[in-house]
Amino acid sequence: MDLMKSIAIAASGLRAQSGRMEIISENIANADSTPAQAGGDPYRRQIATFQSEMDNTLGARVVKLGAVKTDPSDFQVKNEPGHPAADANGNVKYPNVNPLIEMTDMRDAERSYSANVNVINATRAMIQRTLDILKG
Amino acid sequence: MPISDIPILSMLRTKLHWSQERQRLLAQNVANADTPEFKPSDLKPPDFGAGPSGVAPVTLLRTSPAHLASSDSTAAFDLEHGGPFEIVPTGNAVSLEDEMLKVASNQMDFQAATALYTRGLGLIRTAIAK
Repeated sequence: MDLMKSIAIAASGLRAQSGRMEIISENIANADSTPAQAGGDPYRRQIATFQSEMDNTLGARVVKLGAVKTDPSDFQVKNEPGHPAADANGNVKYPNVNPLIEMTDMRDAERSYSANVNVINATRAMIQRTLDILKG
Repeated sequence: MPISDIPILSMLRTKLHWSQERQRLLAQNVANADTPEFKPSDLKPPDFGAGPSGVAPVTLLRTSPAHLASSDSTAAFDLEHGGPFEIVPTGNAVSLEDEMLKVASNQMDFQAATALYTRGLGLIRTAIAK
């Protein structure tokens, strides 16, 4: 049934968005992860990428989570001489995670997720309507 | 005469088919709402051979070979690439609000067509009832 295909396409969107959410939560959880050894590098922010892929059985372009990239921007450096991870100058590198950016990203993922859920609900209603023809 | 040859029902089936195809494209647009370089697509409405006045009576349609010849339901619909409303820096041109509106209107179209189809079947049922 063709309407099931619409649901499968929307489901690919759900999968991709929840994968993105996973990476965002990883970033937020590690927003304060300092380096393991003195003078080392802390957690580096990760970015989820999307790519669309032609699915021949569905005859449509479904969305897939692409390679997870790292954010090359500079770490935040704070001067905390007493910190176990401080280097010789007393500087500690903190992750390049900006909670504000992660929050906006999260809202965006949430919005896209609910849009896909809406499509699934609309399609389900259409399937139900088709079945209602039988009831007459 | 099979049920599928009754003009009104075959028109409705074309319409249902169109809604179904459109739903697939809209799902694709929404799923790819964050994919870089993705351009949304839509379906052109089915052409029932209506004249310039807009709505043609059903009796006229019966005489039009262009329309009623297509009794098979797998009629192909043209894709429509409308001008995108907004394009974000990644090159993605999907506007979720727009797509949601289209999904809702598609669902209503489908609902209307199935309701009419049920009515059509009801008419036949009335005709064959004792």
